[in-house]
Amino acid sequence: MALDASAMTASPGTAAKPPRTRPPGVWVQGWRRFRHNTTGMLGLSLVCLVVAVAVIGPFVVHYDPNDQSAMIKFGAKSAPSLQHLLGTDRMGYDVLSRIVYGAPTALAVGLGTMLVASVIGITVGGISGYAGGMVDELLMRFTEFFLVIPVFIIILAVVRLFGIVVVGTPLESIPYLNLMTIVFLLGLFGWPPIARLVRAELLRLKQMEFVEAARCIGTLRRDILLRHILPNALPSIVVVVALGIGGAILAEAMVSFLGFGDPKAISWGQLLYFNYEALKVAPWASVAPGAAIFITALGFNLLADGLADAFNPRLKQ
Amino acid sequence: MGIFRYIIRRLIFSVGLVFGVSLIIFFIINAIGNPIEILLAERPGITPEAIEAMSRYYGLDQPAPTRYAIWLWNILHLDFGTSIIYNQPVGGMLVAWGWETLKIQVPAILLALAIATFVAVTAATRQYSRVDFSVMTGALLGHSLPGFFVGIILILIFAYWLGWFPSYGAYSTRNMLWNSALADSIWHMVLPIAMLAFFNTATLTLLMRSNMVDVLRNDYIMAARASGLPERKVVYGHALRNAFIPVLTYLAILFGLMLGTAPVTETVFTWPGLGYLYITAIQQLDYPIIMAESMAITIMLVGATLLTDIAYVLIDPRIRLE
Repeated sequence: MALDASAMTASPGTAAKPPRTRPPGVWVQGWRRFRHNTTGMLGLSLVCLVVAVAVIGPFVVHYDPNDQSAMIKFGAKSAPSLQHLLGTDRMGYDVLSRIVYGAPTALAVGLGTMLVASVIGITVGGISGYAGGMVDELLMRFTEFFLVIPVFIIILAVVRLFGIVVVGTPLESIPYLNLMTIVFLLGLFGWPPIARLVRAELLRLKQMEFVEAARCIGTLRRDILLRHILPNALPSIVVVVALGIGGAILAEAMVSFLGFGDPKAISWGQLLYFNYEALKVAPWASVAPGAAIFITALGFNLLADGLADAFNPRLKQ
Repeated sequence: MGIFRYIIRRLIFSVGLVFGVSLIIFFIINAIGNPIEILLAERPGITPEAIEAMSRYYGLDQPAPTRYAIWLWNILHLDFGTSIIYNQPVGGMLVAWGWETLKIQVPAILLALAIATFVAVTAATRQYSRVDFSVMTGALLGHSLPGFFVGIILILIFAYWLGWFPSYGAYSTRNMLWNSALADSIWHMVLPIAMLAFFNTATLTLLMRSNMVDVLRNDYIMAARASGLPERKVVYGHALRNAFIPVLTYLAILFGLMLGTAPVTETVFTWPGLGYLYITAIQQLDYPIIMAESMAITIMLVGATLLTDIAYVLIDPRIRLE
């Protein structure tokens, strides 16, 4: 005790003072814990694998994804061989190169969806948690509404019907319009978990001492929100977003699998849709995209799991 | 707040939900204009008079708000209109196709619940053991496996390679198994149920295990053990009951998820259920079916949520009604 006190009083002036370092922030602390988390690291490596395939893959594969020449040379639906590592599908495409070119699509779908969902979710949750009272009550009911409705079924109907509305309008010329519609819809219906989380975090952090301290020294409201509350809420948001990316990729795959996907985009769900009827003859053309979806979804799920453990160590115990 | 007021409040909210969804669906379908015109646009020999007559037959000549009111009024009288493609009353179709959907989904969720309970209890009572670790790993992997991928693998192995079960349909068109309609029907149900049960088991196991672990740490468990109750009674009689409460709410979510993704399940197995009907209806713009089905699924979903909400309060007196 006495030692502590003397050290404290002595430290300001003495030359023996160690160089002042900033204490590690939320992210550094989180990463230190994350490094020792087996599931999290496994998830991160799977995600890195998918990203690497998306970035490097297109330069490595031999076949153009739109190359149907196997129709003539080897025949469609040929089994995996040295020429075609994952075989060819029923349209004569090389399965491996279709899978590789599907990776950027999947990542774009996941990120795009979560971008839309985060913008809406953070806005709604932020307003709800900050305003409180009647506004909060109304917004939360609204959020609950979006949580209960059968989203997938509505998305299917909208994608199909929007495709009809667009015909003959200038919108038709936008590339990948169909895919963008799906992404936008997935985001539009995917924000409630984020809004709920942001609201809960805001309510929790509003009570914290450091926020009170900031208020005491006269920090502007905007600065309290943006510089004190938001950075501390971000780790939790990142967890939900990571989880959401996996979910969005899966959802897009399901929409495409049912035949409502973008016919011009190369996506794994689309591959399944084209090849599923030939499952008996060319199983590799259906199993490969299915496995790709599984690995990606698993990667993001494990990553989210590990991040949740790393950022909220209290939750684990 | 009394329990009756709570139930009534939830009920009103649920009705509002169903209402909201009906508005969304109606708005979307109206955005495309007259579906009859689109359906008949590419057929030669259809005169504008014929299109007009058909539109009048289906009541499409009325303005949109009137049509919505008529549609809502009819639905309240359980009249869902007539399918354009099948030319049958939609209400009867919903019952017939809905039965096929529930036939695989209800057994699947019950089966999953039974397996998950057993596995989760086993894992939770041996926390951090090798059994626990493998159960958790398996459940985490299974939780991320897309349902349709499991279905594809099941079909490949059990239908194509081993030839034990049929790969599609709910009935054989000829040569029924053992000449019995019941056996034949169950034979077709095996693979779809296995796929749905697989998905639900993984998710339920994850949830149940963490609940069990939490509950087993409580003082009353130690008290029960100290009073000399057999371990089996402590785990299944005392702990499991309390671990079960959060699972109850989750059952409604799982059920909703299964109903919502029925189109995928039923496409994988070419199963003649609501999901399959919905997909064909969307493709062919059979709008009475699209509207009625999205309504039916919403009502089932909201109903399940409502039931669990009420059951939740009835089972657990600690839950505060706000």
